[in-house]
Amino acid sequence: MAIVVKLDELLHARRMTLTDLSDRIGITLANLSILKTGKAKAMRFSTLEAICMELDCQPGDLLAFETER
Amino acid sequence: MPAQHSTLLGVTRGLLWLMLGLVAAAALLVLAVSVGLVAAWPDIMVELKNSKIFIDPGIIQPRLLWMMAVLAAILGVAAFVLRQLQAMVASAATGDPFIPANARRLRRTGWSLVAAQLLAIPLHMIASSVAAGHSEFANMGGIDLTNILAILLAFVLAAVFEQGAAMRDELEGTV
Repeated sequence: MAIVVKLDELLHARRMTLTDLSDRIGITLANLSILKTGKAKAMRFSTLEAICMELDCQPGDLLAFETER
Repeated sequence: MPAQHSTLLGVTRGLLWLMLGLVAAAALLVLAVSVGLVAAWPDIMVELKNSKIFIDPGIIQPRLLWMMAVLAAILGVAAFVLRQLQAMVASAATGDPFIPANARRLRRTGWSLVAAQLLAIPLHMIASSVAAGHSEFANMGGIDLTNILAILLAFVLAAVFEQGAAMRDELEGTV
């Protein structure tokens, strides 16, 4: 997929687990896992907002566009 | 799923089985009458004459047999529709009724109802040709507004379910 989710790196930098994030923002671990592994087809603005708020980052820190070869 | 909904689905499931049972009983009856019409025609003819409902019982045996064939076909269609409804209720019970399969089932139900309505026309023609006009027997079948509304409803619901399934598909994988 051309859009890459960099949740793993953000969590690692903040020494936070996916379970911690799930507890704090109220999004299920299963859904966050789908997002982390790049299997999500779409993302709600509310999810993006909650993650950015909790991890104190910008949407661009979480998502990146990579050209496929 | 709310308890009220599961109760409703349970009741619906029970009613559908009951209706399937009634259809099966009616099919057996049609079969028994057909066998009787062939095997015991002279006795039946006397009874038909005495009933004063039928016109000229001497010549109506083939028509009555045709009627039984049409009735059997309608019962077959009814059983098929009930099976489709059972499958839809089962998918609703699992909590995911907005699937393409249900849209197909509703479309099939709609076409089955069209077939049943079309079969009801010759049924009425035969019934009115063998029985006196004032009798209930002669009014069997024919075009029924309720049937036509049911057909329209089935096709509209099929379109709604198709749209619902497409939306569901789009939503899946949304985080």
